[in-house]
Amino acid sequence: MPDDHATPCLNCKKRNARWREDFPVEWENDEYITRREMVKFLALGSLTIAGANFILAGIPHVLQSGPLPKTKIGTASSVAAGSSQLFRYPTNDDPCILIRQTSGELVAYSQVCTHLSCAVIHDQKENTLFCPCHHGYFTVAEGRPYAGPPTRPLPRIRLEQEGDEIFAVGVEV
Amino acid sequence: MSTRQSQGTTLFTALLALIGISVVVQLWLLAATVDALLRHEAGTPLYAAIASGGLFVINGLLVLYVFGFDKKIKQR
Repeated sequence: MPDDHATPCLNCKKRNARWREDFPVEWENDEYITRREMVKFLALGSLTIAGANFILAGIPHVLQSGPLPKTKIGTASSVAAGSSQLFRYPTNDDPCILIRQTSGELVAYSQVCTHLSCAVIHDQKENTLFCPCHHGYFTVAEGRPYAGPPTRPLPRIRLEQEGDEIFAVGVEV
Repeated sequence: MSTRQSQGTTLFTALLALIGISVVVQLWLLAATVDALLRHEAGTPLYAAIASGGLFVINGLLVLYVFGFDKKIKQR
């Protein structure tokens, strides 16, 4: 009958490491994890990850529970045809861009590129919205991507005009 | 080690690998959820959460099955 203790010790070097003298933990108790324990650990990990995923999925619904505020973003006379103006909506952390097209129509979009969140800028010469980080291009009329890596359109800001004043009233994603 | 014990070990190892892989997939789904949230995309997190929940249910059933099998072996 073979003796288990007679087999050559593969971990002798590790066992005799100098630091083990300073931290005398029994080897058997040190690194012994059974398959059962590992399966339980993974199952608990699976539960935790699924829970975290559900919580994260609920965040947008909780944050967007109420209607967005109506905010004055500028005056119509201050935006000349073909030019743009920056503003923030619905919070101070959301940069947006207001553009008066050459036709005279006002449009506004989130300034955050849908590729990797760089700020898009209005290229007046080319009449396009341009992301300088990865050369993404969006149309001014619809905010639709037509060149470069972005695949989703820019969120459009709904506008209302009262006299000369322009108000942002919502976001269309 | 008896044949039945050996079968049990094989079963535990295989299910361990299977659950491990699905936990990695769940981690990927979590990363995709965070990515979608940062892009202000509302649809993807919900589908990712449902898929993650589904994987957890599968994992749970596998764990229940394997521990039931283990219990049966111990009783014999």
